[in-house]
Amino acid sequence: MNIPKYIIPVLVILTLFGGFYLRTAFTQPTTMAAFGESEGTKLECVVEGVKCKGTARFFTMLYEDVPGISGIETYASDHLVVFTYDPSVITPDSIRAIMEAPVLLNDGSSVQVFKCLSMEQE
Amino acid sequence: MRSTVKSRYIRYTLLLVIQVLLIYLALGYGTRSFEAYCPFGGMESLWGLFTHGEFSCTLGPLNLSLLLALLLLVLLSKKSFCGWACPIGFLGELFGRVGGMIWKKRPRPGRRLNGTLKLLRYVVLALSLVFTYKIGELILRGYDPFYIIYSGFGHGTIGAISYTVLVILALGALIVPMFFCRYFCPLGAVFDPFSRLGLIKISRDEDKCTECGTCQEACLYDIPVQSLPVVRHRDCTNCLECLDSCPENEVLKVRASL
Repeated sequence: MNIPKYIIPVLVILTLFGGFYLRTAFTQPTTMAAFGESEGTKLECVVEGVKCKGTARFFTMLYEDVPGISGIETYASDHLVVFTYDPSVITPDSIRAIMEAPVLLNDGSSVQVFKCLSMEQE
Repeated sequence: MRSTVKSRYIRYTLLLVIQVLLIYLALGYGTRSFEAYCPFGGMESLWGLFTHGEFSCTLGPLNLSLLLALLLLVLLSKKSFCGWACPIGFLGELFGRVGGMIWKKRPRPGRRLNGTLKLLRYVVLALSLVFTYKIGELILRGYDPFYIIYSGFGHGTIGAISYTVLVILALGALIVPMFFCRYFCPLGAVFDPFSRLGLIKISRDEDKCTECGTCQEACLYDIPVQSLPVVRHRDCTNCLECLDSCPENEVLKVRASL
């Protein structure tokens, strides 16, 4: 069956858009950590600096011993971090302060690794 | 020749839009990394997803969903993504066209050499997957032209080696059009078995065809279209260069057939 040749670019464009919208079906975290109760309030942050598995793991380590944080999921490709926390123990501003605190390097200097671009409470 | 301009203009417009979008993301605008738009990343993420339920390194759901969507596209329209939307293919094509202006008569690799060199893309595919699956990180980024170019020699590239890779690929493309795509692209290797099955293909009217070979001259992959009743070749990207270069009317057509 003969078909118009411009069906090809139309198919390519539709496929790219289809692939873009299909992504929600495969949403999986880059890292997942639970430090205690899974129940709690969710806080979504877009964090500059969370860009791969390595930085996501380092980010998670910052909260390992922080009271009130019970879980962290990171989505590196979207620079997204989802905290599960107890609002009676810790506030979103405190969570933000921890990630934005300068990190001490081996040579004695310090640098800010992460920057919170947005916060949204569920 | 009239419609050659039309098809190529549309193709180049689409490719330019994609280039601009990638550069926009590569410069840090937008919420995603440019790497999210690499469908081969979907292949690399499969092992991590199946074994740990997590994506490797910077990869995410968009890499996987693009890969799956493109596999469907290959079944419908062969490697159309490569000819109509791949940013690296576009650069390879541009270098090939510049090469065409430099050479009076471009040296063509013999059929046997060409066929043997094409096996290299399966080697690249195997190496990429084995290293990524074993280590869980994208350690071959320093050899990946997509990453080297759009990251601007960023984190993960390996200095002089990455420069050398780009120089070799650029020089190669000046001699053989689509040098990277033909011989090294691992995504092309993934598409290969599905591409032959592609529903939409170029077909040739053998009675009207004068077998002048203009179509093969125009083909970026040197496919001998003038000797094939239907172009099932695994490298065909349905770019329509052959169809638009044909001096005869109604000889080459786009058809949907099994």
